[in-house]
Amino acid sequence: MNTEDTPAMAEAGQDDSALRCLDGRVTLLWRVAMLIRTVVLTAIVLGAQGVLDPPVPTALIPTVVAALGIATVLFLPQARFRSWGYQVRADDLFVRRGVLWRIASVIPHTRIQHVDTRRGPLERWLGLSSIVVYTAGIRGADVTIPGLARADAELLRDHLAALGGGGDAV
Amino acid sequence: MQSCCATTWPLSVGAAMPSEPHSLHPLTLVFSAISVGRSFLLPAIFGGFSAGGGDIGRMFAWGLAFLSVPALLYATAKYATFRYRIDDDELILDSGVLSRRRRVIPLARVQNIDTHQSALQRLTGVAELRVETAGGDRTEAVLEVLALRDAEALQAELLTGRRVALGTAETATDRLAIDGDETLAQRLAHLRPADLVLAGATANEAGLIAAVLAAAIQMLEQLPIRLPEPNFPAIPELTTPMILLAVLGLILFFILLGWFVSIVGAVIGYHDFTLTKADGELRKDYGLLARRHATIPIERVQAMRVEESLLRRPFRLASLKLATAGAAPGERRRTSAQVFLPLARLPHVAPLTAAVFPDFDYAALTFSPVHPRARRRAFIRYAVPVLLAAAALAYFVNTNALWLAVLTPAMYGAAHLHYRHLGYALAPGYVIARAGFWNRITWIVPDNKIQTVHLTQTPLQRRHRLATLVVDTAAGGTFKAAEVVDLGRADGTSLLTTVAQRAIRARKAG
Repeated sequence: MNTEDTPAMAEAGQDDSALRCLDGRVTLLWRVAMLIRTVVLTAIVLGAQGVLDPPVPTALIPTVVAALGIATVLFLPQARFRSWGYQVRADDLFVRRGVLWRIASVIPHTRIQHVDTRRGPLERWLGLSSIVVYTAGIRGADVTIPGLARADAELLRDHLAALGGGGDAV
Repeated sequence: MQSCCATTWPLSVGAAMPSEPHSLHPLTLVFSAISVGRSFLLPAIFGGFSAGGGDIGRMFAWGLAFLSVPALLYATAKYATFRYRIDDDELILDSGVLSRRRRVIPLARVQNIDTHQSALQRLTGVAELRVETAGGDRTEAVLEVLALRDAEALQAELLTGRRVALGTAETATDRLAIDGDETLAQRLAHLRPADLVLAGATANEAGLIAAVLAAAIQMLEQLPIRLPEPNFPAIPELTTPMILLAVLGLILFFILLGWFVSIVGAVIGYHDFTLTKADGELRKDYGLLARRHATIPIERVQAMRVEESLLRRPFRLASLKLATAGAAPGERRRTSAQVFLPLARLPHVAPLTAAVFPDFDYAALTFSPVHPRARRRAFIRYAVPVLLAAAALAYFVNTNALWLAVLTPAMYGAAHLHYRHLGYALAPGYVIARAGFWNRITWIVPDNKIQTVHLTQTPLQRRHRLATLVVDTAAGGTFKAAEVVDLGRADGTSLLTTVAQRAIRARKAG
């Protein structure tokens, strides 16, 4: 049976081997994005420190921030990649993700309103795409599957749109 | 109306079916003027005076006064050019002075139609009509102001037109209650002043009101109003216990004040609360100063909440709320749900829920508890902040704060109470989730309104092998979705599949 050690969250009736992964290049995407964020955040902290002048050694806070940032760049993308999985099933779309905060979502095909593809600048550079599945819900309103190869994203989008058929009115 | 529909579409009292363009009531000009006055002239007066009557102050004041003239002219032109009519399954609004705008609202998309009267509007016999469509949180159309009879007639025409557009059967009983003729509608509930006093007295929001009042009085002190300095005789040194007493006394005062305001607010705001149901629509009429009439098509209801606050549970009272897609913004709401009935006695909750969900039996529900480890998780979530706060206060303020740590065992009691009020139930066609100690909320979600289902785990939940099931609906606003918190992980995963299957198999949502 599933134990705490398995990286995936056990899903009754959901065969983990049937889950599709994201494209491997997405880890590079995440690394670059996190690196940029770390640099910006450290710069902001340095700036704020210069203005506010808190009673701690000057190097302390920026070093901590930078160290945490570097740690996420090194370790987070791989863990996140492993945690992502999706499957288009007979009646619904199953998506699961999350390293610390885990979430598994089921979106019935009949509830899909429309499906968008989205490509940010980094994604375009790597030849990747995200798809965004829109429902009428609030909490799970848009489920985004990132890091798909462009062709796969288009195929998935068309597949879901065909299954969804415009979705039910509310 | 001399058409063939004459026998099935009884005329509303006093107004013809508006197929020719209609204008707003002339009193619109008065209300526009009042609104302009509020926006321009009041600040002008205040600005002029508070700036000490100097040159800048006067320029500011006169500037604003001048601006009010074109604003008034614009409002007059807007009134003169505004036209509305119903044509062929659509409500058409034409407005605009320089750029003409035509807004067409298909009647089938209409969701909420409310008439709203401020105190002054009630005195003068006019009302505002607000129309809302699905998929929007804003009001699509505001007709401000119409004669009350015209407003009610238009409301009725829109509703019957909507039913026809949707293809639902209509009979002679389709006519909504107008002018007090309620024999054809089914009266669900009516609240007397005594009930409203009880509602206000037991409302959890009393605490919130107290906090708001306290903040408001704080803000008053910031205003540049100079009060005469009172001449106090020499005050003896205040000792710490006295200060503590004074603070406690002040807190008590605000709580009592908030409680009082809550009661008065309920008695006035929900005065003569009447709930009726007529052929697929729920209708609320309430209010003393501003009389409100809200209509909710039942098929737009996404979920229902039965709320039993701590104060109400011993008296076996509850309050009922509805989550609709695109709830009416004209409603004064402190939460994001539309009030269905502010106060209900527990035995009446079952028939009331049955009025909205005919095949649902609240009384027959048996709740399953969540996993006992939920207690452990709740204990950690409560105890850790207390201990951290005690430590921080002890370090930065006063070591005596460490005594706060004695609260920790009490946190276990709190965790146990939290656990006892968690639960879920699966009824035919409905998913029910319950949670909360201070305010026990029972969600009732029809299967066909379920949009998506999620199973979430925080790191702490993973540690305890727990999970939370989130049932998402289209209910608008800052609504929390229905959640079953802290299920055992195995239960959670099987429930995820079960609820998703129910949503898939349910008849078309709509």
